[in-house]
Amino acid sequence: MVLDQDLVRHLSESSVSVELETEDMTLNIGPQHPSTHGVLRLVARVDGERAFDVQPVIGYMHRGYEKLSEVRTYPQITTLVNRIDWVSGYANEVPFIVAAEKLLGIEVPERAQFIRLILTEMARISSHLIFMASYPLELGAATPLFFALRERERVLDLLEGVTGGRFHPNFNRIGGVKPAYGSGSSTRKVIQDLPEGFLAETRDAMDKVTVAVDEINTLVAGNEILLARTKGIGILPPEVAVSYGVSGPNLRASGVPFDLRKVENYLPYHLFDFEVPVGENGDCWDRWHVRLLEIRQSVRIIQQAIDKIPSGPLQAKVPKVIKVPPGETYVRAENPKGEMGYYLVSKGGQGPYRLKIRSASFSNISILPWILEGVLVPDIIAIMGSLDFVLGDVDR
Amino acid sequence: MISFLTDLFSNFWVSLAGKLAIVGLMIPLVGMVIGFAEMKLSAKMQARVGPYFAGGRWGWAQLIADGVKFFQKEDLIPAEADRPVFKIAPVLVLVSTVALLVVIPFGPGLIFRDLSVGVFFALAISSLSTIGILMAGWSSGNKYSLMGGLRAAGQLIAYELPLVLAVVGSVILAGTMSMSGIVEAQIEAGYPYVIFQFIGFGIFMIAALAELSRIPFDMPIAESELVMGYLTEYSGFRFLFFFLAEFANMFSLSAIAVTLFLGGYWLPGIPEDVLAYVGPLILLAKTFLLVFVMIWFRWTFPRFREDQLQSLAWKFLVPLALANIAITAVFKVVLS
Amino acid sequence: MTSSPSETETTAHPLQELADEVAGAVGGEAEITFDTIKVHVSPESWVETLTTARDDLGLVFFSWLSAVDWTAEVEVGDSPGDDVETRFEVLAAVADVSAGRRVIFTTNVQHDAPSIASLVDVYSGANWHEREAHEMFGIDFEGHPNLANLYLTDSFIGNPLRKSYPLLSREVKPWPGKVDVEGMPGADDDDADETADGPSEENPEA
Repeated sequence: MVLDQDLVRHLSESSVSVELETEDMTLNIGPQHPSTHGVLRLVARVDGERAFDVQPVIGYMHRGYEKLSEVRTYPQITTLVNRIDWVSGYANEVPFIVAAEKLLGIEVPERAQFIRLILTEMARISSHLIFMASYPLELGAATPLFFALRERERVLDLLEGVTGGRFHPNFNRIGGVKPAYGSGSSTRKVIQDLPEGFLAETRDAMDKVTVAVDEINTLVAGNEILLARTKGIGILPPEVAVSYGVSGPNLRASGVPFDLRKVENYLPYHLFDFEVPVGENGDCWDRWHVRLLEIRQSVRIIQQAIDKIPSGPLQAKVPKVIKVPPGETYVRAENPKGEMGYYLVSKGGQGPYRLKIRSASFSNISILPWILEGVLVPDIIAIMGSLDFVLGDVDR
Repeated sequence: MISFLTDLFSNFWVSLAGKLAIVGLMIPLVGMVIGFAEMKLSAKMQARVGPYFAGGRWGWAQLIADGVKFFQKEDLIPAEADRPVFKIAPVLVLVSTVALLVVIPFGPGLIFRDLSVGVFFALAISSLSTIGILMAGWSSGNKYSLMGGLRAAGQLIAYELPLVLAVVGSVILAGTMSMSGIVEAQIEAGYPYVIFQFIGFGIFMIAALAELSRIPFDMPIAESELVMGYLTEYSGFRFLFFFLAEFANMFSLSAIAVTLFLGGYWLPGIPEDVLAYVGPLILLAKTFLLVFVMIWFRWTFPRFREDQLQSLAWKFLVPLALANIAITAVFKVVLS
Repeated sequence: MTSSPSETETTAHPLQELADEVAGAVGGEAEITFDTIKVHVSPESWVETLTTARDDLGLVFFSWLSAVDWTAEVEVGDSPGDDVETRFEVLAAVADVSAGRRVIFTTNVQHDAPSIASLVDVYSGANWHEREAHEMFGIDFEGHPNLANLYLTDSFIGNPLRKSYPLLSREVKPWPGKVDVEGMPGADDDDADETADGPSEENPEA
């Protein structure tokens, strides 16, 4: 039985002289809390177990990236931009570099584009595996955490092998990707390519990730308690989602089959064959399920990319000191969390005049006051977790 | 020598002191062993190793180290807390656990006190912990603890009823409420009561998990939502009491389940006189089997939401238990 | 795919048709800049423009809303030159969720006491974006239900993203990025310099 929300509010705000006088309580969830994905604070007014006015307070991690970009050169900004959505480090860099390259009019070599695509898909797998790990933990199941993170280690090891960094690769350069250096004084010749064996190891790792994802699916998807906690909870209708700017798997779980990889051309996704998983009801279960299916699709893309990768240089010829000619452009990409875009305004010069960062999680959690109206306190955690946001992405 | 000891222990005060010593030692020992088992078993299930360094490769000294750590911590009581209630709460929970051990038969005649209403006593005493938990939640002066305490109150009261109703079937079959009497009735019948009382056994185990506030019923603690629920403000040796009480309670409730349903200290085919020595070991083995199942459930399932938990208790378990009692009573009357 | 500067091509840009359609529907001026459609409208018709975009043009997805502070006097970064018109350019990016069409609507607001109508009734997502633009630029959004600070504390003074707001750490110490940095170990000056990589290459001291 679901109580009418207006009735609940009326009962809790009026004091009835004959029966029990109930007062509502203001519950502060966070900023230090085991399940708020970072320093997010929710000020919730609860009546018993039901919350009815949840206001998020953000900004605890605001680092002022947009202001900082105004005093940095383009390669320096890639180091900053890695740290926006730190769970999928590589994916943040790509739209920014593509925007700068658009203004410069540089054509990126094919091999570099394929490498960018492979690493972006690996970042997507990494981000979704973190979701697979942390979401059941918020509902109380502690074991999928370890299985998912063990698989994520494989992906991160590969990322580290080729870029040097697990979380913040900083691998893009204007015109392509950064070729590896030889090590030691005996190899004076610079190795201008991916490490040996990277592609074969990636193929191996992708097979193992597929097996593990199936394992996690069995452990979680058939569990009645988990289904009872997520089915029908936190339903997000597509019109509301679109109006708030919710994007990525959250939008697709609500039934909107829209994926920026199919419509934008920042990377050569049109060369590969993959599906866009769509959910039916827009509840927490669908958001879980869509992300699980997306991992499988990413594995598929990576395997095709490894088969088709052409040879060639890893970076186009660029001058030593890069000044981007004046212009404005907006490039958006399908990040694991949703639509990430960079609006770059350049007035000549080595750094941008204005860089507006459109981060996915900012818009994704702007829906919290709407979606958490009248839900039970345990469901607040379930719904928040299913939106899969990261505070660095929210606060920039 | 033997006669000297038996004479010594027939003295009331000596035997009392002896019994108190055994019970006093059992609780921390059992708590530590089960705690250690939980750490190692959960590690195995999660593709990791568990405690590794304390005490050599097996890490067996981990819980001893934890115990010492808890003891030497500063005794923090929040300024807003209600001091006397805050201090008594963990003691109450531990006391109810210890008192349960009094009526568990470890062997033929090896029982601390053979009450003729042993079952009734056991179930009544185990409800004391509910009060302790409510006191802990309320007196902490913290909204999260209060919410945890309220959830606990609702949950524990809701699951008392299935717990009690589930054992009535065994009592009907045995014809006595004395715990050792029930084991003897199973020995006489030649089969453990679980064969006919499997529904009762299932309900008892589920209700026991809920009484212990273990996943899937750990809403009162609900780590990812309420930090630690009613336990949030407890640290140091007060937390140690709760911690030990949980594991010891696992042992006690499992021992009760073994006694009432699985035949207690008896295994078919073992003669009476051997049973006096082997009985305790058999009981411990069976109890640890049930404890293993509880640990297994904890790391496999997510947690129920409060209202789902309540509807499970009231709408499903209670009617099922009542049906079980009715069927058992009918069969007993018809077949005797 | 290659990126190409678009304005002066003999064949029409693939986005030209959409740009003209949008500009016609809302009565503004379209501009295609590096594969991005920007439609310029007047501030008075701001809400009407976006309502038309949402209802008639199918651009239902609210992407972001922000502003650019155009002014010749900057405390931070390089000045854009003296010929720039001092204003705030408010931008609202909207898109559809089927074909991937996207348009950035833009309008100019005066630099002193900037103010524009709020879009909260048209797109719910504008709520938080406008709060951020308000605290970062000082633009007042008329009709917004709750223009409180989003990121910054309540006691914060000033609007950080304005060009007149200095980066305080730069006041104390100049940006070290303009100083020569050593190359990578093992990469000597002769062969490694040919590739445009390594931190020292990208600093303007070369």
